Amino acid sequence: MRRNILVLTAMVVALGLMIAAGVMNYLQRRRAAEAQAQMMKMTLVPDDGSGQGSTEQPVTETADEAAENSTGMNGKAAPNFTLVDINGKKVSLADFRGHPLVVDFWATWCGPCKVEIPWFEKLHDQYASQGLQILGVSADDLDKDDPAKLFTEKRDIADFAQKMHMNYPVLIDADSIANSYGGLDALPTTFFIDKNGKIVASTIGLAPEDLIEADIQKAIHSGASS
Amino acid sequence: MKRALALAALLTGALLAGAQKLPWQTSASMKPADDQLVHFLYPQQVTVPAGKAQTVELHFRINAGLHINSHEPRQKSLIRTELIAAEPTGVNISAVDFPPGSDYAFPLDPQEKLSVYTGDFVLKMHLTARKGNHLVQGALRYQACDTNTCFPPRNVPVAMDVIGQ
Repeated sequence: MRRNILVLTAMVVALGLMIAAGVMNYLQRRRAAEAQAQMMKMTLVPDDGSGQGSTEQPVTETADEAAENSTGMNGKAAPNFTLVDINGKKVSLADFRGHPLVVDFWATWCGPCKVEIPWFEKLHDQYASQGLQILGVSADDLDKDDPAKLFTEKRDIADFAQKMHMNYPVLIDADSIANSYGGLDALPTTFFIDKNGKIVASTIGLAPEDLIEADIQKAIHSGASS
Repeated sequence: MKRALALAALLTGALLAGAQKLPWQTSASMKPADDQLVHFLYPQQVTVPAGKAQTVELHFRINAGLHINSHEPRQKSLIRTELIAAEPTGVNISAVDFPPGSDYAFPLDPQEKLSVYTGDFVLKMHLTARKGNHLVQGALRYQACDTNTCFPPRNVPVAMDVIGQ
């Protein structure tokens, strides 16, 4: 009887030790997991221009703000180019120095581009008195080795521009300058350039009309007194 | 279900030449697999009775959140989805059926309805193969967009072993 009590006591103690060890092990693993999760947390912080992120004031970027700087070319000089328009006339970006300028890359097959073209037509007229110029640059493929196809492709672009009542110069062959403008991997892609030839804003994809207008105003007012 | 013959040409010579590139392979629109927005899923191999007309279903998947124009887009300016395939010696491809598109409108242009494919879709290739192993190669040409952005046209490679028995 006494021996049974001893065995039972030993078993209870052993069981207690096992439970205690299990609980401690669980707590230890949970603390380790929490520590690891803490280490993997990432906080977006505003760039103070020093190249060092601040550890204070995490910020969230709105969709509009993200779209506004999505080309990564804001603040840089707009790369010069010379292309021909749908009438065969050579047009250079340099010709527009001294004017706030919008360069909109689009294509006839791009639905969102068709949405924003009427906005550009309206804004072109609205800000004409402030010197605004707009260039539409078609990214449609051109078969330069096949004169017959090339003729048809140019005609299709011109027909599209006419159908859309585009009241600003329409250039062709965006592909030839795509690399200098960040690749143009998606359309529409739009650059807003001030009088000094600096890109002050840019968007990839269809931006809301009020954002486009705000970017045009930015281009008009940036470098205005220089 | 619309039937459309979308075979570019009989390019047996090019296939036999081996080193020579096929028309869609020379295009800048041929992107590596990671850059593709549409993927050829299967089959990579089919076995068909030799000399008898057969239908093979080709399965494709479009990346989530994107759409591509159907084979019959409603506007002339839009780029249709097409299958460009070469017929190796011993295989005759008579036609390819494309599924009808679904209606889609960009959120900022709800009035203009487009005819598009989204998600998974299937093409039906009608072919007859002689006895033996044949490699059918080609590409699906497509032009994709999401809700506010469009991407230049691309070609996704399609390759399938056809075994005629």
